[in-house]
Amino acid sequence: MSTHVSLKEAERKAFRTAFQDGLWDIFIGCVILQFAIAPLLSRRLGDFWSSAVFLPFWALAFLATWLVRKYVVRPRVGVVKFGASRKTRLIRFNVVMLVLNLVAFILGILAALTFGAVPGWTYPIGFGLIILVGFSVAAYFLNFTRLYIYGALTGLSPLVGEWLYVVMKAPHHGFPITFGATAGIMILTGLALLFRLLRDYPIPTYEPTSEKEIG
Amino acid sequence: MTDQQPGQVTLHPLADIDQVIHAPARLMVLTYLYVVESADFIFLMRLTGLTWGNLSTHLTRLEEAGYVTIEKEFKGKKPHTVIHLTEQGRAAFREYKKSMKQVLDDLPD
Repeated sequence: MSTHVSLKEAERKAFRTAFQDGLWDIFIGCVILQFAIAPLLSRRLGDFWSSAVFLPFWALAFLATWLVRKYVVRPRVGVVKFGASRKTRLIRFNVVMLVLNLVAFILGILAALTFGAVPGWTYPIGFGLIILVGFSVAAYFLNFTRLYIYGALTGLSPLVGEWLYVVMKAPHHGFPITFGATAGIMILTGLALLFRLLRDYPIPTYEPTSEKEIG
Repeated sequence: MTDQQPGQVTLHPLADIDQVIHAPARLMVLTYLYVVESADFIFLMRLTGLTWGNLSTHLTRLEEAGYVTIEKEFKGKKPHTVIHLTEQGRAAFREYKKSMKQVLDDLPD
């Protein structure tokens, strides 16, 4: 192994510590949960409000993970600021995600305009592919490998849901089952990682070692 | 060079290796500091697996050599120690890398 590679690996290892607490898994799981629950609420609240009602839920989930990171995780694992190369990588990631969101938005409008004119499987396949690409891009730029698995699970959710709907007449195109299971896997993984971190990394206590410090 | 026996490998560059960096624990600390902008004491402790006392001793040695700066501040009532690699430390690490690579590349298989 060359020195160059091991330095890269050291940087990756340092960066990956940002994802060892499971809080991102929990937050993304909470976001995905919307796709499972919104269809159940749509009859009572309508399409718009059944989704909009999740905005305060997301805000609350974000605030909760931020508070846990600040007051529970950081005192245990510490704080690091990354160098220029990582900052450049994060800027590239943001640009790519912005472009991807714009493409998804345009495709969403096209889907709404052509609803009923294209075969039924087109929407779940398109939706699943966009999700898969989005998660994979994030996994690549953030060195957050679990996102590849989450991307595959989330990307397959609309397809499997549609299959459940066609074969077993599952309500709401099977979304509550497939997205619910995906969100559940993410949230449980996140919680397991968080509890492991709390178990393995107690808040360090100061230990004076030098003679001067001991006095 | 004329004193060299046949088959003997010259290891002169080893004599120039920076002994402050060459200690495994300090090398580990400098490697991580080389790839980030700054890190606090706890982060380095977790990443290197060193104990509080060990890390403290090695950081003091690196600070004395001018390779790192240690900033102590208070966050609320709790002390918070942030460590940066200095330009001198960065240059010394690069030089160390170069010297070690030269030594290891020159060794026969």
